[in-house]
Amino acid sequence: MNANSLIATNNLCKYYNGGTIKALDGVTAGIKKGEVVVIIGPSGSGKSTYLRSLNLLEVPTSGEIVFEGVEITDPKVNINLHRQKMGMVFQQFNLFPHMNVLKNLTIAPIKLLKMDKAEANEKAMALLERVGLADRSEAYPAQLSGGQKQRVAIVRALMMSPDVMLFDEPTSALDPEMVGEVLDVMKELAKMGMTMIVVTHEMGFAREVADRVIFMSDGKIVEEGSPDEIFTNPQDPRTKQFLHSIL
Amino acid sequence: MPEWFTKLTRDFNTAFVVDNRWKYLLEGVENTLILTFFALILGVALGIIIAAIRVTYDKQYHLMKRGISKFLLCIGNIIAKVYLTIIRGTPAMVQILIIFFIIMASSSNKMLCGIIAFGINSGAYVAEIIRGGIMSIDEGQTEAGRSLGFNYVQTMIFIILPQTFKSILPALANEFIVLLKETAIAGYVGVTDLTRGANIIRGITYQSFWPLLAIAAVYLVMVMFFTWLVGILERRLRKNER
Repeated sequence: MNANSLIATNNLCKYYNGGTIKALDGVTAGIKKGEVVVIIGPSGSGKSTYLRSLNLLEVPTSGEIVFEGVEITDPKVNINLHRQKMGMVFQQFNLFPHMNVLKNLTIAPIKLLKMDKAEANEKAMALLERVGLADRSEAYPAQLSGGQKQRVAIVRALMMSPDVMLFDEPTSALDPEMVGEVLDVMKELAKMGMTMIVVTHEMGFAREVADRVIFMSDGKIVEEGSPDEIFTNPQDPRTKQFLHSIL
Repeated sequence: MPEWFTKLTRDFNTAFVVDNRWKYLLEGVENTLILTFFALILGVALGIIIAAIRVTYDKQYHLMKRGISKFLLCIGNIIAKVYLTIIRGTPAMVQILIIFFIIMASSSNKMLCGIIAFGINSGAYVAEIIRGGIMSIDEGQTEAGRSLGFNYVQTMIFIILPQTFKSILPALANEFIVLLKETAIAGYVGVTDLTRGANIIRGITYQSFWPLLAIAAVYLVMVMFFTWLVGILERRLRKNER
């Protein structure tokens, strides 16, 4: 485990059915501050499970996760405080349907960070402006397109000023013509120096934006390296086969 | 004037006008509404508590660390399950008789006994309605709330329950209507509700036609009125969403 990692996992395991299904089988990795890491792999490889266990939405069976120097897998740790620093974006957006966009964005900072309502609104409007949705602040999620929903969901996570953003297949539920607008927002975020961990099937994005690509299979990290290394010169036969089947 | 018509008007007169007998019905309506209203409040309060225990048990128990709160939750869940099984497994009429003649036999406040009996009965159904509502909300909503840093209770209060309320409103309204009509059996243990009012008039006048038709109409009007009110509430809740 690397000492200057923002997030590090050590031998992380997640078993189901008493160990017969190994979703994660000893994953050790570190993500440095400002790094953009893209995790790829076939379905069922454990990449989403890995991402979701980083903020303990999935509780690992064994192993440890260290985030900003704190071992958050320790049961005594108040995970809610650490989750505030880890923004998460879901495949299915998961916006709150009973609140308009502005309320979706401001509820967490107002309730959790005790941010002043006017200040929260101002911050929300500024961020909406950046993702091109300032005119939809009063809309309800059901009135938005998929791409708009996902951009709002990204802003909702950013409202907490997280130190890392976790993306769980953020474009997989989108119509093809809306993928670009979401990826553009993510690229801008990466340019601004945000630490990002992205599970995705968008190989173009991985190539262009990632500092490092991790290939997972059967709950293990099979290979990792720069996008160039992984995409043009993969070493492991499983990586080769996977890239062959999708490119 | 045909003879049957004269008889009907004469009977109407005997049933309601003579000795101001319509007042039995008025008092009955009043008591039925009081009984339903407070039983509903008790039922919803009980329902929320029972649903909270059951849902928390289902969603959180396996994640909790060993300790006193996990133990209490386990006990609470057992009590909740026993309560639901008994109340839903026995007739309301039998429950009311048991409360009147065994559990609260020493109480002379019949209305209070009635409120408690119907409240406890209704609570079981309300609990399952609320639990079903919470369970029907997509798990992603909980995950989104938790990922922002909300704890379990905050996620429930700010995110899950507001959505639940909207989706269970029709079922809750239905339970309320069932409760209103079910209070008709309260007369058997001496609460002077609407049905009992009609029975008193029948006892005095030896005729059934007008009193029974009258209370049927009154129940119908009350139910239609509440259905209309709930419809307005539902439309208001949905207005913003699309």
